[in-house]
Amino acid sequence: MSSFLLSLITFSAITVIGVVSIFPLTGLTGLFSFGQAAYMAIGAYVAGICAVQLNMTVIPCILIGVLTAGLVSIIIGIPTLKLRTDYFALISMCLGEAITAILRKFSTVTGGAGGLSNIPNYVGTTAIVISAIVIIAIVACFKNSSFGRMSLAIKNDELAAKSFGINVYSHKLKVYLFTSMIAGYCGGLYAFYIRFIDPSMFGWTKSSEWVIFLFFGGINSLTGSVISAILLSVLPEFLRFATEARIVMYSILILLVINFRPQGLLGEYELSLESIKKLFHKSKKLQGGGNNGTT
Amino acid sequence: MALLKVNGISKKFGGVQAVSTFSMEVEKGKVVAIIGPNGAGKTTIFNLISKVYTSDTGSIILDGVDITRMSQTDAARQGIGRTFQNIRLFSTLSVLDNVKVACDYKAKCSMVEAIFKAPRSFKSEKAITQEALRNLEIVGMADLANEKPGNLPYGLQRRLEIARALAMNPKVLMLDEPAAGLNPEECFGLVDFLKDMLVKFDTALLIIEHRMDVVMNIGDKIYVQDFGKNIAVGTPAEIQSNPAVLVAYLGEE
Repeated sequence: MSSFLLSLITFSAITVIGVVSIFPLTGLTGLFSFGQAAYMAIGAYVAGICAVQLNMTVIPCILIGVLTAGLVSIIIGIPTLKLRTDYFALISMCLGEAITAILRKFSTVTGGAGGLSNIPNYVGTTAIVISAIVIIAIVACFKNSSFGRMSLAIKNDELAAKSFGINVYSHKLKVYLFTSMIAGYCGGLYAFYIRFIDPSMFGWTKSSEWVIFLFFGGINSLTGSVISAILLSVLPEFLRFATEARIVMYSILILLVINFRPQGLLGEYELSLESIKKLFHKSKKLQGGGNNGTT
Repeated sequence: MALLKVNGISKKFGGVQAVSTFSMEVEKGKVVAIIGPNGAGKTTIFNLISKVYTSDTGSIILDGVDITRMSQTDAARQGIGRTFQNIRLFSTLSVLDNVKVACDYKAKCSMVEAIFKAPRSFKSEKAITQEALRNLEIVGMADLANEKPGNLPYGLQRRLEIARALAMNPKVLMLDEPAAGLNPEECFGLVDFLKDMLVKFDTALLIIEHRMDVVMNIGDKIYVQDFGKNIAVGTPAEIQSNPAVLVAYLGEE
């Protein structure tokens, strides 16, 4: 495989992990986070610094990165998740900017705006693709569990959710922790793959990109999120011939989908063994109907 | 000893005294109805008992447990089940999942077990599904399990809300205008249905209702509210002949 194709696959897989990391939070629980890339930054930087400065091996590096992202999410989540969801969205955006500002400021440790370089190349395409698949499976398990149901109930109607014994605040905190740790893991993989990171990679454009991808694919559909993450990270590469116009074409495509399919590309459709079976039965039934018509 | 004992609760919204020192007792297996003209504070009483609001005064004792200062979530876990005046079903969940949500807080597995599909998560999921299906069967909606609530006719949506509240096995089930928007035929069905549920779920029923045919048919005891104040308590027959109630509803001669 050409190195271009390999890197395309890898970056798509990283985007998939990123988009899937906000799916339980924004898609299921209805909390908009415009600062999820901050946790990716934390994961990436902590893992990178551990490797560069402390010469640690890959697994402890990523693990410490994930745990740090989780810890920060708890510190941020405890006061902010009590707020109404729109205020939470605002604060999450501030968080994204604050983290990048901190990374720029503490240049002795982080390399500042110049970025952190010489990170060892610990992970390759295979590890990242496998990680993406495992994380999709984990999030799918979450969605189908009682926790996924409670998330949807909270998104639909918080007051009603409370009157069915759901502890809304602690549930939101758990989901926030869960999604932040996935984003942190995503950051760790990213750092060890591209070997150079700088704060501008994790700004709010990255976070909002993930939210847009999520909406594009269908807010309630994990399958949709994965497909749209792959599609929208591959598409710009195929529009390269149009150089300047490709961003315009890309935006128009997203606007068209959001305008004509507000529920997203796949809506609530979820790919599973059952849905494939159903599809098969439907086509069979249609054929059967045709036969009956002729006799 | 009464199952639910409400002792002088009140609530003030700005300058409006929505409820003033309201007391009531609800016994197991009995139906208590709250009636009164619009704006009499009936729904506020419901919101106070289910802890959506905290009362300014008084106490609420459920089965010997003081729930006056509890959060809404904890009150629900103690055994307060309720429906809402405007239907509040979880629209993106299927009928079955709506009922399952009501059992989810009892789930005996942590989130870590759930996301890694540990054996305990299968077990708890299976138990919840069975319980929800059994509940749907009892209310006669098992065949609609995979529908979305939005596709159901109005009467069935109301019934689903009741089924969802019953799935929590509440000690007291509170229904806020269960007959609103139902046609006369559905109304008869509702009365029979509620009487049936009362026996099957071994609970007490507290209802707010405007339809007098329903209230008089099903109520064991009726509280009449007007402008936040309690003006009468009694059996349906007593209420029908109570002069204060007639004044509140029909005006003075």
